[in-house]
Amino acid sequence: MSSPTSASSAATPRLRRNTMLWALLAMALFLVSTLLGLFLRLFQGNSFPAVEPVWFYSALTLHALIMVGAWFLGSMAGVHYLLSRYVRPSSAISELAMGGSVVGVVLISISTLLGKFGVGWYFLFPLPLYPNGAWSPWATIVFFAGLAILAVFWLAWVLDLLRAIARRYSLSMALGWHILRGAKEPEVPPLVLITTVSLVVVTAALVAAALVLALFVLHGSGRANVDALLMKNLTFLFGHIIVNITLYLGVAILYELLPAFAGRPWKTSWLVAFAWNAVLLLVLFAYLHHLYMDFAQPRWVQVVGQTASYFLSLPAAAVSVFGSLALIYRSGFRWTMASRLLVCGVLGWVIGGIAAVVDATVAVNSVFHNTLWVPAHFHTYYLMGVVLMVLAFFDHLSRELTGSDTDVPAAGWILSLLLLGGYGFLAMFYYGGATSVPRRFATYPEETLQGVIQARVAAAFVVLLLAALVIYLSRMAARCLRAFALCRNAS
Amino acid sequence: MTFPRIAACLAAGAAALWGQSPAGSLNQPPNEDLYLYHSVPDILVRPAGKPAMPLSELWRERPLLITMVFTRCAGVCYPFLRSLRTATESAGKPPSGYGILVLSFDSRDTASDMKAAAAGIGARADEGWIFATAAEESVRRLAEATGFWFRWDGERRQFDHPAVLLAVKHGRLVRLFTGGRIPAESLGAILRDLAGGFVPSYPLADKTSFRCFQYNAATGSYSLDWGAVLLVLPGAAAFLAALLTFRPWRRKCARAPFQAA
Repeated sequence: MSSPTSASSAATPRLRRNTMLWALLAMALFLVSTLLGLFLRLFQGNSFPAVEPVWFYSALTLHALIMVGAWFLGSMAGVHYLLSRYVRPSSAISELAMGGSVVGVVLISISTLLGKFGVGWYFLFPLPLYPNGAWSPWATIVFFAGLAILAVFWLAWVLDLLRAIARRYSLSMALGWHILRGAKEPEVPPLVLITTVSLVVVTAALVAAALVLALFVLHGSGRANVDALLMKNLTFLFGHIIVNITLYLGVAILYELLPAFAGRPWKTSWLVAFAWNAVLLLVLFAYLHHLYMDFAQPRWVQVVGQTASYFLSLPAAAVSVFGSLALIYRSGFRWTMASRLLVCGVLGWVIGGIAAVVDATVAVNSVFHNTLWVPAHFHTYYLMGVVLMVLAFFDHLSRELTGSDTDVPAAGWILSLLLLGGYGFLAMFYYGGATSVPRRFATYPEETLQGVIQARVAAAFVVLLLAALVIYLSRMAARCLRAFALCRNAS
Repeated sequence: MTFPRIAACLAAGAAALWGQSPAGSLNQPPNEDLYLYHSVPDILVRPAGKPAMPLSELWRERPLLITMVFTRCAGVCYPFLRSLRTATESAGKPPSGYGILVLSFDSRDTASDMKAAAAGIGARADEGWIFATAAEESVRRLAEATGFWFRWDGERRQFDHPAVLLAVKHGRLVRLFTGGRIPAESLGAILRDLAGGFVPSYPLADKTSFRCFQYNAATGSYSLDWGAVLLVLPGAAAFLAALLTFRPWRRKCARAPFQAA
């Protein structure tokens, strides 16, 4: 069961076509979301003094949801495609998920852009129920309808991938428990192990989202007075896991793609199995670090949060990073745009991960909580981590499907510009966090006016990042469209 | 749940959203959020059997708990006062760190009415308890500043009013308790607040569903509540879904050789 080196082996034309569509959708949403991000930083830099702050908050809400949604779907599409080497997921369910996702994104866009719904991605209870004139009450309903549609269709896709894995592997085998017991056979690809762990956990996140929505309806209809602490717990159980698992799905892609460039297999060792089972055990509790400042939560819960955050991050990251380095070392590694993006993605994961662990420490969090340090760490492992990993997959696959031998022109320059823009933008977030600049402020109060200059510098770096993205994604989109046309003709 | 039921719930939620009114009903007890840390007017009160004095004289040395009653009350006043008296037995009696002012809002009440009320709850000899009257205008000022209200019901010949306990420290309202009786735990939390202690949580006025934890203000300890079950539910549902997804295939087609399409 060794990993084939070609990304496109065993995939049907329909699956290839769907994956190219997912790639185009994710890239389009990514560009829109990056533009929104630029607007946010320019707003914080006082570039739009005549624009009402309510637009900042609705753009913030849309930016976060689109960015997280686009890359969750992108990584799901990548994993779905790569899993087809070992199992047979349903293309029809993936198409349904695409339809549902488009409807969900449209509804959320309507609620934020037309209805000015601006409560942030976390729609923290009970704020959405109290518009107080800032947004239209119908926008709350449209927003929740959009979220509900996304949750239902995503859950269907998640369960279908699990079903596909279950047709070939038992649960204990898919989780590598026989390897933990010392057995060497049968081999389980890391892709199957990490995907199984991720999908089980993301099911919990989507159930939590459904519960939150149901409790909102109960409270909004006056049938119950819901506990705010419960709602915050459930909201972050959903939100933290979705982001976390998007990253892990990206890492699953890394485990499957990197061997293609190194020419060496990456097998599920005891350490790999241990690390990802630790994730399965702990990831459900790590979200508690979002509630350190909620003093109504008992102290032992905060201890569980910090412990889970530490032990969740370390084994999986250590095994994956050292595994990547070992795989690359003296392997005659093939450096293409895709493989460079993969390696840069690992770097972003490590830097963002360290910043996350720092902030997940109660003593530090009491200073950094809700400062720009928070968006700094998650933008690092997202923008410079999982996004690069998934883009690497799309790049590699589109090249294979079009039979292209060469990278996009000036790939090295584009990558340099992308890293310069990305890390420059992130550096301003970190600097802002270290100088106590609060997050989610449309305009900064006198005490934190340093945030204005930082936002302007960050916006300049975002322009560089955006330039790199426009050049790179437009060329890759053209290649994806070519691949899509070829697959359609083949089917 | 069937689709029509889900639709009905969503519709009910939508209707509730549209129908929200920013102002509460007139019969509602005062909302603590609206009055916290507001200054309490320094009105002149007349303690039974003592000369008149400004309120500030009572809160200057120690925090003050104020409750507003009328002695002819056939409703909540006496049960509330008795529960306050009982709560002080376990939470710490005045004057150890605080005083209690029972102020009449009924202009008909006299000093002897207030003494009788004190005797009625067994607090006549207790120096920590002060039973007092005040001028009608002073009472109105205090009521407006703290959200307390009272209305004469001619038919029942009674005042309609909520039962409240105002916790005042250095002339500012730091807690506002409402309810028919005050449990010792709630009084304990209020006293801890007044003493500068940290109270991590306390129950809201409305009944809250699905709490994660219950906090015992008297002991400072937590216990799990039904909301905690809802917190476990997503994880449990996910693992159950995984078991159910894998189980039938494991029986029927376990380890079937994979045929690439």
